[in-house]
Amino acid sequence: MKLMMHYIKKHIGMFLIAVVFLAIETFADLLQPTFMSYIVDRGVKGQELELILQYGLIMLGITAAGAVGAVVRNIYASRTSQLIGKEIRLDIYEKVQTLSYENIDRLQPASIVTRITNDVTQMQNFINGIMRIMLKAPVTCVGAVVLIVLQMPALLPLMMVILVCAGLLICGNMKLGYPRFDRMQKKLDGLNRTSREFLSAIRVVKAFRAEEQEREKFGDASGQLAEAGISSMRVMAVFGPLINLTVNAGIVVMLWLSGRETAGEIGRLMACVNYMTQVLFALGMVSNILNSAVRAVASSARVQEVLSEMPAQQEVAEENTGAAANETGGFSAADSGCEEISPREQLSEGSIVFRQVSFAYAGTARPAVQDAVFSVRAGETVGIIGPTGSGKSTLVNLVPRFYDATRGQVLVGGRDVTRVPMAQLRQMIAVVPQKALLFTGTIEENLRWGDKQAGREEICRAAEAACAQAFVEKLPEGYDTWLGQGGVNLSGGQKQRLSIARALLKKPRILILDDCTSALDATTEAQVLAGIRRESAGMTVLLVSQRIATVMKADHILCMEDGRVCGFGSHEELMADCEPYRAIYRSQIGDEDCPGAAAGEGGAFHG
Amino acid sequence: MDKNMATPPSQLGRARGVPAVKPKNMKGTLLRLWQITRGHRKGLGWILLLSALASVSAVLSPYIIGRAVNCIDSKEPGLQLLAILAALYLGDWRIRFLQQFLMAGTGQRMILHIRTSLFAHMERLPLSFFDTRQHGELMSRLTNDVDNISVTISDSLTQLMMYGFTITGIFCVMVCMSPLLTAIALFAVLLIFLLTRAVTRRTKVLFRQQQEILGKLNGQVEESISGISMVKAFGQEREMVEKFVENNDAFCRVAARAQIASGYLMPMMNVINNLTYVLIAIASGVMALKGRLTVGEISSFLLYSRQFARPFVEIANIYNNFQTAVAGAERILEILDEACEPEDTADARSAEGVGGAVSFRDVTFGYRPDKPVLRHIDLEIPAGTRVAVVGPTGSGKTTLINLLTRFYDVQEGAILLDGHDLRHYRLGELRRAFGVVLQDTALFGVSVRENISYGHDNVPMEEVEAAAKAAGADAFIRRLPQGYETVLHQGGAELSQGERQLLTIARAVLEQAPIMILDEATSSVDTVTEQHIRQAMFAITRGRTSFIIAHRLSTIRDSDLILLIRDGRIAERGTHQQLMALEGEYAQMYLTQMGRL
Repeated sequence: MKLMMHYIKKHIGMFLIAVVFLAIETFADLLQPTFMSYIVDRGVKGQELELILQYGLIMLGITAAGAVGAVVRNIYASRTSQLIGKEIRLDIYEKVQTLSYENIDRLQPASIVTRITNDVTQMQNFINGIMRIMLKAPVTCVGAVVLIVLQMPALLPLMMVILVCAGLLICGNMKLGYPRFDRMQKKLDGLNRTSREFLSAIRVVKAFRAEEQEREKFGDASGQLAEAGISSMRVMAVFGPLINLTVNAGIVVMLWLSGRETAGEIGRLMACVNYMTQVLFALGMVSNILNSAVRAVASSARVQEVLSEMPAQQEVAEENTGAAANETGGFSAADSGCEEISPREQLSEGSIVFRQVSFAYAGTARPAVQDAVFSVRAGETVGIIGPTGSGKSTLVNLVPRFYDATRGQVLVGGRDVTRVPMAQLRQMIAVVPQKALLFTGTIEENLRWGDKQAGREEICRAAEAACAQAFVEKLPEGYDTWLGQGGVNLSGGQKQRLSIARALLKKPRILILDDCTSALDATTEAQVLAGIRRESAGMTVLLVSQRIATVMKADHILCMEDGRVCGFGSHEELMADCEPYRAIYRSQIGDEDCPGAAAGEGGAFHG
Repeated sequence: MDKNMATPPSQLGRARGVPAVKPKNMKGTLLRLWQITRGHRKGLGWILLLSALASVSAVLSPYIIGRAVNCIDSKEPGLQLLAILAALYLGDWRIRFLQQFLMAGTGQRMILHIRTSLFAHMERLPLSFFDTRQHGELMSRLTNDVDNISVTISDSLTQLMMYGFTITGIFCVMVCMSPLLTAIALFAVLLIFLLTRAVTRRTKVLFRQQQEILGKLNGQVEESISGISMVKAFGQEREMVEKFVENNDAFCRVAARAQIASGYLMPMMNVINNLTYVLIAIASGVMALKGRLTVGEISSFLLYSRQFARPFVEIANIYNNFQTAVAGAERILEILDEACEPEDTADARSAEGVGGAVSFRDVTFGYRPDKPVLRHIDLEIPAGTRVAVVGPTGSGKTTLINLLTRFYDVQEGAILLDGHDLRHYRLGELRRAFGVVLQDTALFGVSVRENISYGHDNVPMEEVEAAAKAAGADAFIRRLPQGYETVLHQGGAELSQGERQLLTIARAVLEQAPIMILDEATSSVDTVTEQHIRQAMFAITRGRTSFIIAHRLSTIRDSDLILLIRDGRIAERGTHQQLMALEGEYAQMYLTQMGRL
């Protein structure tokens, strides 16, 4: 609610215009019965045709004013709510760009997407609803009651009673209804979870003949949803008709009272009855709001969660003071930081030093990387090997500051990475991840991520090195081939090769290859690695792999086990004194003593 | 993803004038929907009856109010009329309460019924069904479409019923009282009709545009957030925001236009209502002046004029929702019409106690019949053989497993188990004869113990532990916070890949099946863990027929039989030594992987 108010305040002018015209529209509705009563009492009873037509014209005028109110209100309400929706979406999106991986891991990408799309729409609908119905209903109610009392002051006590009764009923409805609708929404989430789990495990379900078990689970979830649904619908079933009854009873009492008191002006009574029906209609709308309010509040809480997420990483604001880190948010800070650095302070060499580095993912006790110590000179190649889950990817992710070390220091070019502006640091590093990520656009546009100014020749050269040139040229539109979302129209291996070409095009000082050839067959992999070797002369290369043959010939081999660096050195050194490395070697190559002679130039990577 | 959960189409939730998705075969679908309602018809009947009754008060009360006004006007007490009016309102309250109360129960029970039978049917569909459809789409059928059906049947139908009776009733009363004033009311209806048509004509185009841009916007958001790592690594944040702003602005423009256009419907309708009210007030005033109408009749007419036009608006809207729901129903019926996995025939063989001898006789199969994945496969595997299947990606290794477990059925030839065609066994027992460790390590959000004993009820703890020990999973399970009772809230995401794999192996071990299948079960595990797994597998495959599919050739060196599959055929077969001696493709693959080529 607070969040929605914040955005409404930003557009308070437009919002108020909408509200003012909504009021005009409402008053046009409310004035009609009053003038109708003049027609009856003064025109009909007074036998004056002139007056009937005169009042009729006034009523037409009011109707016209109401129409104008409706048109203006509609335009402003729609514009305002759409504008607010747009701003919330942009705010979330920009916020997400400033968040670090740790935040995004926690919020989960899929969930962020739903927040930007569905949740904002819910809020937007609700804000639009405020300007359409939610304000109109109470204004109509109060206005009608005031006018009734003005017409027949004797009805004041009756109207008070009706208002109090209706008010209590509406409160009761909200109080009982809100938690029930809320529960229903939660049960719906549960049902979705159950069916998602089932669908993704369908092979296992069938192989283990667990259909009955799954059916029970699903039946249980949908049963709970139905129960929650029934309970919330029944609250509505109790209160809705009761509110109707209250107002209707008011009409009966009103007629009875005026019959007894023989009030002279019958038109006034007719107007009052008409007002009562307007009240009835307005109250009817109130219960409709409930469901929408529940969703809007839930949605806005989910949006708020993203917006109030504190970036887990701090950006350097001023290089001189060094220590003080200031998170003013995002890339803009990064860019300005970039300009403040004088050229001589630019990072220019790609040496990497890890000083007693430990890192644990948020919410986990066990560090993923523990006390890592090693150093690499610029231009050297390090092969990183170790069991899955031993922390290889985590280790290399600390270099471009995808995550920050919890303890210790990571130095690049002799400077602590947390003291270097993010943009500058990442400018000199290129990463090829395990899962190739491409984006909507042409192949060329995707590759240009590496270097905006690159000419076609350079692009072809990078693609050639990544063994992508051949298949790209075979595509009907070559480099102009349009890729769908996430590069859906390419195979896994093709995507990996483009992802490598993109990184090579960047001509980074440090190249990080995180097990990025897994979708390639052994022959292509060997060619790609040879291509990278050609192109990466002078670069510091961190090469993560599962295969010992791939890393064997690197300048250094870093062997990891259970988050610790258990060996750092050449192949021969590790074979001599690193038992985990020997175990990997034995499991992959066998027990031969001297592989060096047999191993040729093929898959091995050496810098 | 707007789930308009079984609530009356809310004036807030659903934009008016949004074009409905047109159903393909309205009549046929409705007929089948009617069949589905069997078992709920009594409740539905009552609800419909009550809706019809609910119109009585709407039709009669303005008339009685008019009469009462006349009484008051002529200074008569008219208590009788007030009593009738009070009775009418009380009756109306009862009826509305009962109707809504019944509808809550019947509607939700109907949803539950349709949803669970849809799920039960879905479960029995062959794997090809799931492999060719997006999960998100199937989920939306289970939730949104099912809800929509119930909205159609319970809400739309009852509202149509009520409005139909109300309109007819009011029309009759009005014509009796004054044909001229009735004509004015009808004029309003004509205006509303024209307005609705004008608005929908304009919004149709706008909403289509809006949908298109929304798709683009959502796509960009999804892509850039799931790929945020690369956006950051390549410093593309600003470009992404620029792109987003562009789409977001375009969407806002079109959406505002669409909303404004569709937003005219309700307030303009209100304006028309006011206009009618004014015209009736003037006309009836003039008529009353000439003594052709009583004051009470004016009063009745004014009340009628408000009630008469509204249902027409609603009916247009209801029809729209109705179409959307029927289209949703069609999507559900489509699933219900999918053929299930064939039922076991009466003379189907029991697969209990099978030995495990498997033979392929000239087997040909393709996921699309015109594109065979496996071609003329012939194989004889004696019981107890350890078979390894290798070959490049897409060569048909996993397909072999899909056929063995009858996830798919062969198109030509036959697969025999103990000399009998697989299709002649009872499907349930046949699948129990296989202990399967699949490529994806799907685990469930229940306890470790329940995950291991998945598919079985009441498995004694000793058996679960024995299976975990055999799979080498016991040690790490004991280190978990609650041991075997630890609940995997995130469906196993809290475990490492290797640990998940060990659990799925334990799950397969517990099956005590004569045939074991491991589909690339060790592909994503490091070589050291893999060795543990291999040792476990070696122990549990002793004396059993087993099929192991692996990318890494080092893991399958000691198999009894290695099959190299390429382009859907068995290119090479034999033991490791034989194939190495052959110096063919296998030998080359092996040497490449060992880094010796």
